[in-house]
Amino acid sequence: MYTVELIELAKSYGDFVAVSELSLGIQPGEIFGLLGPNGAGKTSTIRMMIGITMPDSGEVRLFAEPFRRSHLSRVGYLPEERGLYRGMNVLEHLVFLAELKGVRASEAARRARSWCERLEFTEWLDKRVEELSKGMQQKVQFVGALLHDPEIIVMDEPFSGLDPANAVSLRDALLELKKNGKTILFSTHRMDQVERMCDSICLVHRGTAVLKGELSAIKAQYGRSHVHIEYQGDPAFLQDQSLVASHNDYGNYVEVRLAPGADSQELLRKVLAGARVMRFDVVEPSLEEIFIDVVTKPRAEEAAHA
Amino acid sequence: MRNIWIVAKREYLERVRRRSFIIVTLLLPVLMAAIFIVPAKLSTSRGGTRNVAVVTSTPEFGERIKQRLEAGADQSRDPFRGGMSFTFKVLLSTDATDRGRSRLRDEVRAGKLDGFLWVTDDAIRERKVTYHGRDAGDPFERSSIRASVNRSLVEKRLAERGVNQADVDELMAGISLETVKVDGSGDNPTNNRVLFGTVFALVMLLYSTLLFYGSSVMRAVTEEKNSRVVEVLLSSATPHELMAGKIVGVGAVGLTQMLIWALMGAVVAGPAVGGMLAFSPGQSFRIAPAMLVAFAAAFLLGYTLYSSAYAGLGALVNSDQEGQQLHFIIAAPMILAVVLLMPVLRNPASPLAIVLSLFPFTSPVIMYVRVAMQQVPLWQVLLSLAIMLVTIYYVIWLSARIYRIGILMYGKRPTLPEILKWIRYAGA
Repeated sequence: MYTVELIELAKSYGDFVAVSELSLGIQPGEIFGLLGPNGAGKTSTIRMMIGITMPDSGEVRLFAEPFRRSHLSRVGYLPEERGLYRGMNVLEHLVFLAELKGVRASEAARRARSWCERLEFTEWLDKRVEELSKGMQQKVQFVGALLHDPEIIVMDEPFSGLDPANAVSLRDALLELKKNGKTILFSTHRMDQVERMCDSICLVHRGTAVLKGELSAIKAQYGRSHVHIEYQGDPAFLQDQSLVASHNDYGNYVEVRLAPGADSQELLRKVLAGARVMRFDVVEPSLEEIFIDVVTKPRAEEAAHA
Repeated sequence: MRNIWIVAKREYLERVRRRSFIIVTLLLPVLMAAIFIVPAKLSTSRGGTRNVAVVTSTPEFGERIKQRLEAGADQSRDPFRGGMSFTFKVLLSTDATDRGRSRLRDEVRAGKLDGFLWVTDDAIRERKVTYHGRDAGDPFERSSIRASVNRSLVEKRLAERGVNQADVDELMAGISLETVKVDGSGDNPTNNRVLFGTVFALVMLLYSTLLFYGSSVMRAVTEEKNSRVVEVLLSSATPHELMAGKIVGVGAVGLTQMLIWALMGAVVAGPAVGGMLAFSPGQSFRIAPAMLVAFAAAFLLGYTLYSSAYAGLGALVNSDQEGQQLHFIIAAPMILAVVLLMPVLRNPASPLAIVLSLFPFTSPVIMYVRVAMQQVPLWQVLLSLAIMLVTIYYVIWLSARIYRIGILMYGKRPTLPEILKWIRYAGA
């Protein structure tokens, strides 16, 4: 049973295809990463997931039922484009957001106070939003998305615009929510930042899911097939296609993906033949490498056919 | 429904607690009162008495003019300033020489006289009766002098032809015209001038509140779109709920403001209206309840129409400035209605008035004027209402379609073909 299930979602804006045939499933209580570069269709997917827009075709299922608007009182949403009513009192703003989710005003006010005590900004509750710093406003918005105690928490690019300290506290907050049994989905284009947090991921490219599943399984599937080499000398070894499937060259530093069945020790001997080696590291691929690998492979195949 | 209520409640509370709302609500009536009362006070305080010299060829004629002027017999009653605002003190002279004239001129210049009237027999024959005043002066003063001279002249001519004074008085006895508005409840004597003024004031109020609150909806939508608050709201409420809540909330603010004004008016202006009526003895004046019901209906219908259109416009633009530029498109018919208000007030049954009272974007103002000023055929009222309701339905439909897509479109303002695409586009 999935908490969130998207089945072959498609959405176009005029001639522009934002999402096509995208399917994914999110297990109860996991942290799910919707990853991909800017413009890949992450926000469009999220908007359909929570009923802001309707898919052209396909189905959204929440809590193992076809999407209903009444589900939304159990979903918390933090959009990428964050905003609050500038002139509004912070406490009243939080209560307003919670009321829209079906929480009674008095209960919402009580919860807002306890949240703010935890995050140590009680003294800001009686201020107006515009008197708060950008970072404070982000916290208010974060609390606003959680006041109704949602079972699903959806965050679009939650880390963008956060300073490192706030990014750490957001990460801790998400991990704590997970501990409390919440299902969390967030999107990001910064894959390096989040790969340790996610239980499962879906890589989106040009509106379609190019890779999805449990993160550990994906990594295992790629195995320790990548080598990071720091060297001085002849880069001729990179041309050996029996060993090197692809590489990212940074000059004195190169990330190599081994050809299927290739032996890393064989590569080391090749490198030593023409260069001095400072570092030779056999590693799991990073998400970014996997992503680049996945999205360039079809093109490499096309090139091969041509 | 619950979401509409929550959105409306927030909108309402945020607005009525704003300092600007409180200030405008309290100060506008004071300002309006000041506009009417202060000039009247100033102009009446200027002159208890006008010192005027009257130069005639014969003392008898001079005496006739003097009597009429000093009695104030021909002063018109100005409802805003109240009855006789000044009295004449007349100095008679028969010195029709050039020297006498220049001496009078000097006295006017020196401020000993306010003016002199040159009505010698020669001047009358040559149709060159002149009044030389210190300033171009008050039209009320002028018209009462003109009326007194004319009346005296006619009386004099009649007397010269042998008509005795009693007959002259009887022949010249005029009537005062009383205006009676015929409506469903029978004949209501009304003070036309006061009715005219009241309707004019109410129409201006209608016009400014409709545009102000309509465009407030636009600004609120643009603000939500700009600040991106709308994204969060859309994860709880539908675009239609947001739009409806906004319109209801802002409209309730407008109603509140007018209710406060009406109460203030009843408490403060009651005596003032009473005072005005004192100058029009024998004529009853009241704002008929039907006029107030019509006002409320005109505001509600007009507001619903305009605010819906404004909500759509607000979703199209990306900033207040852009909104201000496009504001004119929607406001244009309303401005037209106000420009054409005077012809309509003068002749509420003219074809122009009928057409404007049926056209939905001008009907809130113009139909209101007609209902207040005359007995409008029922079918016209019903037709106007029907056209209005159908238009409201379609404007809401259209705006909702633009709104629901527009609020999520940032950046470039959409082109007309794009907007048409949004409207045709059924799914959200």
